[in-house]
Amino acid sequence: MKNLKFIPACLLLGSLFFTACDKDNDPVNEEELITTVKLTFTEVGGGSTEFSVKDLDGDGGSAPVTDAITLKANTAYTIGVEFLDESEANHTHDITEEVAAESADHLVCFKATGALAEPTIGDVDGNGKPLGLESALATTAAGTGTFQVTLKHLPEKDAADPCSTGNTDVDVTFQVTVQ
Amino acid sequence: MKRINCLFIAMIGWLPTLVFAQKDCHAMLFGTVTEANTEETVPFAEVFIVETGQGTVTDDKGNFVFSELCEGTYTVTCQHIGCSHLSTEIKVVGETNLCFHLQHESLNLTEITVHARPIQLRSTQAERSLSGDALAATKGQTMGDLLKTLPGVTSLNTGSGIVKPVIRGMHSSRVLMLNNGVRQEGQQWGSEHAPEIDPYIADKVTVVYGANSVRYGADALGGVVLVEPRALRSEPGMGGEVNLAAFSNGRVGVASAMLEGKMKGKLPLAGRLQGTFKRGGDLHTPDYFLKNTGVKEINYSAAVGLEREHWTSEVFFSQFFTDIGVYRGSHIGNLTDLENAILVGRPTDDGAFSYEIGRPLQRVAHYLFKAKNSFETGTVGKLQVQYARQFNRRGEFDAHKRYGTLPSELDKPEMLFEITSHTLDVAWEHKSWRHFTGSIGTQGILQRNTTDRGGLIPDYNSQTAGVFWIERWRKHPFPLEFEAGVRYDVRHLNIENRGNEVIDKQLDFSNLSGTAGIVYKLSEQFDIKLHWGTAWRAPNVNELFSDGVHHGSASYEKGREDLVPERAHSTNLSFNFDNQRSFTVNFSLYRNVVNDFIYLRPAAQPVLTIRGAFPSFAYEQTDARLKGLDWSAAWKPIAAITITSGASLLRAWNKKDDEWLTLMPADRFQFGLRFSPKAKNGKAEKANAPYVKLGVEHVLEQTRLPASYPDFAPAPSAFTLFNFEAGTTLYVNPKSEIRNPKSLTLSLTIQNLFNTAYRDYLNRLRYFAHETGRNVSIRLKYSF
Repeated sequence: MKNLKFIPACLLLGSLFFTACDKDNDPVNEEELITTVKLTFTEVGGGSTEFSVKDLDGDGGSAPVTDAITLKANTAYTIGVEFLDESEANHTHDITEEVAAESADHLVCFKATGALAEPTIGDVDGNGKPLGLESALATTAAGTGTFQVTLKHLPEKDAADPCSTGNTDVDVTFQVTVQ
Repeated sequence: MKRINCLFIAMIGWLPTLVFAQKDCHAMLFGTVTEANTEETVPFAEVFIVETGQGTVTDDKGNFVFSELCEGTYTVTCQHIGCSHLSTEIKVVGETNLCFHLQHESLNLTEITVHARPIQLRSTQAERSLSGDALAATKGQTMGDLLKTLPGVTSLNTGSGIVKPVIRGMHSSRVLMLNNGVRQEGQQWGSEHAPEIDPYIADKVTVVYGANSVRYGADALGGVVLVEPRALRSEPGMGGEVNLAAFSNGRVGVASAMLEGKMKGKLPLAGRLQGTFKRGGDLHTPDYFLKNTGVKEINYSAAVGLEREHWTSEVFFSQFFTDIGVYRGSHIGNLTDLENAILVGRPTDDGAFSYEIGRPLQRVAHYLFKAKNSFETGTVGKLQVQYARQFNRRGEFDAHKRYGTLPSELDKPEMLFEITSHTLDVAWEHKSWRHFTGSIGTQGILQRNTTDRGGLIPDYNSQTAGVFWIERWRKHPFPLEFEAGVRYDVRHLNIENRGNEVIDKQLDFSNLSGTAGIVYKLSEQFDIKLHWGTAWRAPNVNELFSDGVHHGSASYEKGREDLVPERAHSTNLSFNFDNQRSFTVNFSLYRNVVNDFIYLRPAAQPVLTIRGAFPSFAYEQTDARLKGLDWSAAWKPIAAITITSGASLLRAWNKKDDEWLTLMPADRFQFGLRFSPKAKNGKAEKANAPYVKLGVEHVLEQTRLPASYPDFAPAPSAFTLFNFEAGTTLYVNPKSEIRNPKSLTLSLTIQNLFNTAYRDYLNRLRYFAHETGRNVSIRLKYSF
């Protein structure tokens, strides 16, 4: 019976052994951000021009820098959309490939105001539904306007307005001059 | 052959003096000795407690009193000239008021009847508990839903699966939770982080209102929640319990089992094993399914204890694992998505039921190890030493994986937080000295916080140390009792880095907490309590350093490094009336002034990102004043009928900006009608005698909103919900012991009886979907 008195002390000591297993911090995994949206306007049968939005420091900090788009009047263009991660100075990740690989889960939406008409989506996803990485646009008279590009993740492509569904991964608006 | 009737009324005043004081030494035993035939009181009878050697003599009215007894089993003897020696064993347990009726013939005890009824808690703070039937009726739900049945307690929800208790308008790190005497160190800072505690472990849940930092540690500005498992078995033998519950909404099934025992012989170890499994699928509003709202939970615990004459020792271990799906429609990309979602206000299709839990989801694990020892220090007091280690891991999975995720990382969370805490509590409790009882103690906490994935908050270490001293004066039967205490805490934070960004800051906070309380007992039935407490809370690391987008609310949250600690002064006045028969009223008025109250305030300019615009919120400080009242009453016009009413009102004012504070619970009213045909007036109702109960809850629209900044959507309108409950005991083995009657009980509950479609202001997902619809549940409990 006498040695029972040691039990509380043993329990207390024993409990200290449970303390030595703290795992130290894992390195933070680097996931890719979309820092850059690049639009390539190619004149049908002519040259091409690139316009982009860049936010190299990610959310917060400096605000995104947006190019102004200048297009020729009465001209037919094809538009290519690219999403890039340029947060690392010496290495660019092309996220467009991932969007294309999971085409059924993505949709590029366009909204034009002013002098610009809305483009027609030219490509389809794995299910034959619109995707939006490639599209066509014809300008008419000169003027100004805005051009909004959004990348939707998990949109309901059968919905009446698929662009109002899903999560927005990209939402950028360019100022446009048609001259 | 003289028959003697000795009537002992035992009164056990139970004071939760210490953080981990489960065994108390403030019990009191008093009563009257009467002569059986004439019912006359017997003066100068000798009453003697064998174990403690204490003895006394009844006064001229036959009354005797023993104060400052420790809880436990005692042999009490009573003798008088012309009356034979009488002896009985009494188990003195914290919350039981024992009334003995002994019939004595010659030297043999022929019959003992024990009546038990709950006693009034005599703490100077306002506090309310949930146990027995009332607790059983909530089992299978979350801890937050369970606490919501108490007056003044509401909840801050993220859907229906993530429920945080809100005590008089305060939540998260302003509410302290003590799980089995250990300060719960989870990820309390997040408003979408639910407490990591298995509700089935609780035998009793108590909410202590107002600032209560002296007893329970810094941070308790709004209140304290005490979750207590039942004490280990004191008699040798085995027993147990099996609980099954099924819910129609979400097709949830819960199974929980408990096995306990105590060995005989030289080493009388007592132990308990307990485990719970819960699985549920998508919940349903009156009109549609909420996609991805399933839940999976597996918890278990084990406890071993040894009780000797001069010391006790207990080891406890528990693990809690849960996966909670977060409603798919609540995860949004930017402000436009949020506006689109609010415009629709519900999912685009009605959906179908599924048990699948996909992204977004939360995966949480919590481990607790505790060792507690208490030693008697001679006859003057008792020393308690408790060590606890907790580990918490919280993984949050976004609605979709981020770009560039390697295939091997696909099943890993986007955010992963871990906390390891070591807590050491040492307290010495002294027995009555000139009518003073009290304790003095110290607490130390070491904590390591890491954000292993997703750099929302930085990694940091914290060290906290505190000392406290609390004393209470009580001189029975003097009607006034006083209590006062003081505490000093220091906290050091060592902030390392957030993601790959080095912060490297050292922060130090230190401050005093205090408490003072008076109980005025006008009669056995009526007491008034006045309590004042002051407490402080150091700013959380997320308030200081968070920097990032919150996808649940499409907001950009930015911390502020120059935040100073909050200081609360809370005053509570409560009136408690209980005529022990047919009428009970609890009425509390409170006022809690929090200086430098930290809250999220929208910034003028939204933050522009490549995903579009996000409303920006920054942590600001103001002086807040929260005042209100809690009312609850029960009336039995006839024995079989109980009418209950309740009300919780709160006014929360931002003093600096002269406007209301945001995210405060709206006023609510409750009404209940309970019919139990077998109940008898004046007698404690048998547990689970057949009953039916109809409850109505009416919640007003929150009209007290800040004027200077708008919400994304207006506050939802008022709603009224009806609930139905029925229960009975199907079988009781009459030969079984009192502690564990072998019995089978069944109960049926219907929440939201009329399938009302409504939204709650304090649900973060109210923008996207309605609250859940009708939920029929069946509970079966078998005790053996």
